[in-house]
Amino acid sequence: MHEYMLSLQEREIIPDNWYNIVPDLPQPLPPPVDKDNEHSSIELLNRILPREILKQEFTFQRYTKIPEEVQELYAQIGRPTPLFRASGLERFLDYRGKIFIKYEGATITGSHKINTAIPQAIYARNEGVKGVVTETGAGQWGTATAVASSFSGIKAKIFMVKVSFQQKPLRKQIMELYGAEIVPSPSTETKFGRSVIEKRHDHPGTLGIAISEAVEYALEHDMRYMLGSVFNSVLTHQSVIGLETEKQLEILGEEPDVLIGCVGGGSNFGGFTFPLIKKFPEAEVLASTAEEVPKFTHGDYKYDFVDSAQTLPSVKMYSLGSDFVPEKIYAGGLRYHGAAPSVSMLVKTGKITPSDVSEETVIDALRIFARTQGIVAAPESGHALATAIEYVVSHRNDRKNIVVNVSGHGLLDMSIFDR
Amino acid sequence: MKPLVLYFTANYPSREILSEFIARLDTSVVKYVELGMPTDNPLYDGPTIKGTHGTSLADFRDSDLKIYSDLLREHDIRTYLLVYYHELRKRGPGFLHYLRDIGISGLIIPDLFIDYFDSGTEVIKSFPEGLEFIPFFNPATPDSVIRTVAEMTSSWVYYGLQPSTGINVPFDLREVSKRILEMVPGREVNFGFGIRTVDQVREIMELGSNGVAIGTMLIPMLKGNRIDDFVEFQEKVREMMKVVG
Repeated sequence: MHEYMLSLQEREIIPDNWYNIVPDLPQPLPPPVDKDNEHSSIELLNRILPREILKQEFTFQRYTKIPEEVQELYAQIGRPTPLFRASGLERFLDYRGKIFIKYEGATITGSHKINTAIPQAIYARNEGVKGVVTETGAGQWGTATAVASSFSGIKAKIFMVKVSFQQKPLRKQIMELYGAEIVPSPSTETKFGRSVIEKRHDHPGTLGIAISEAVEYALEHDMRYMLGSVFNSVLTHQSVIGLETEKQLEILGEEPDVLIGCVGGGSNFGGFTFPLIKKFPEAEVLASTAEEVPKFTHGDYKYDFVDSAQTLPSVKMYSLGSDFVPEKIYAGGLRYHGAAPSVSMLVKTGKITPSDVSEETVIDALRIFARTQGIVAAPESGHALATAIEYVVSHRNDRKNIVVNVSGHGLLDMSIFDR
Repeated sequence: MKPLVLYFTANYPSREILSEFIARLDTSVVKYVELGMPTDNPLYDGPTIKGTHGTSLADFRDSDLKIYSDLLREHDIRTYLLVYYHELRKRGPGFLHYLRDIGISGLIIPDLFIDYFDSGTEVIKSFPEGLEFIPFFNPATPDSVIRTVAEMTSSWVYYGLQPSTGINVPFDLREVSKRILEMVPGREVNFGFGIRTVDQVREIMELGSNGVAIGTMLIPMLKGNRIDDFVEFQEKVREMMKVVG
């Protein structure tokens, strides 16, 4: 197999099973807990998530069979995504080792989010519900939900943070094209939304408010709620990234020495690295986060709420506090205050090394990547690329195999280059 | 075979009512009693059990544990204490000896390997002769931890079927029980967390379990002082066991 080949579009590379890291973690994963003794937000999950998702959330099974229908849709959306050698970048950096890119931007929605939206929508449809509900900030997750629902033949209702709704009309149009109903949040469609608007009629919205609205709407309308990140089941679905990479590296006859990804909620990162950590336990693993949201380096490892409205349970994770208000940074997907419990634990135990990257470095990295490889990567993925470049610069004489997950393309985020 | 491990929170709903319930235990089906030590933060318990801690904590004294342990000894039933690690640590190393001396057979410490992982093995080593450390595992316990703790202990094993008590998360009982029974061959394994009906007790026993811990479903009986319902529940289990064998 030619190692410069852009893509290894072979159906066999799509795995038959997802991988769940929980039984292989060095310590028990602390379970989600309730906020107080009166309200059970875990019990709430029983009412809003498809039962199959709930089962996967708490399973000890290492491998879960990917339903045939999901495998077929994975092929339809462009899986396996390419793994390619970034020779242009290597030359630019004068690196003697090898840099490989796993490119999730090649899916039809342009990011990894679709990997979990498809199974969640199918499990919801199998329960006979009429639709799914979720929230979206910048619109990536909403877009994935909209497509997956369309494939599954069910409705999607998406609460979009009002400021994004106003500022990103393209995202809204794409979601509507796929047949989803988009509501700016806070909205008048839920009690919670109305209470927010009552206090401030021009509230710009937050992801936390949108989550609360989506959950309430799911409860009131017998719909299922779709989880975008952080939860274990989502990381399990995203393991398709790492499992494909493992097979693709094997075809190329290579083994990874360094794995790099960016962390928002942790799903692309966990999905990419976990299967490879199992197979190559000696590999160095670097988690790239935004300097403005330094959850691993300045956050605490503690129980904290998944969402700022405290609707969903608390989980043990690195967090800057669920009331942390990040700056309106260039990479919306990395604004999240915490990170998935499994990723957090591996940071805590030293397996994963965190790295905070500045906006300037990220924009430089995106430019270099565009000019050497021709790909406009997402600002979030730019963090992984910046960390990879920093690694190469400080290990120039090592001949290592560095594998970077580029979680999405940035064609709808071009405005960051205007700054 | 005696199938039941019954959970009571100490002093819930009161010393008197709990003592009356204990007096009516059916020794043909109850093998152990798991006594919950009241705490202000029963993090890994479900909402129903959590509620009992609040009620019991106000007038709880450590010496109350002896009342129940003595009563249970009269029935020839062993008492195990379910205690959160922060409560144990607060009381110092002498407390373990005290518990053994008042007749507690062993301890279940649900948060030890979750929140105090680095102290876990030292805590096990600190147990005095005559007091058992009961390994507490659930589906989120990694294989390596199960192996390490199982090797350090020889008692029965408590396996929680759910992430916390009283929460109904779907799972495949057959797969869950197979996992643990294969990982600790020859050990007595009692299953708990989220078991709500006599039918579930039967199903678990039929899959090769040595026992089933029941807690949440007893709380309404205790709360309403419905001792007849408690007696009837034990009778149902006794009848069921005649069929299971």
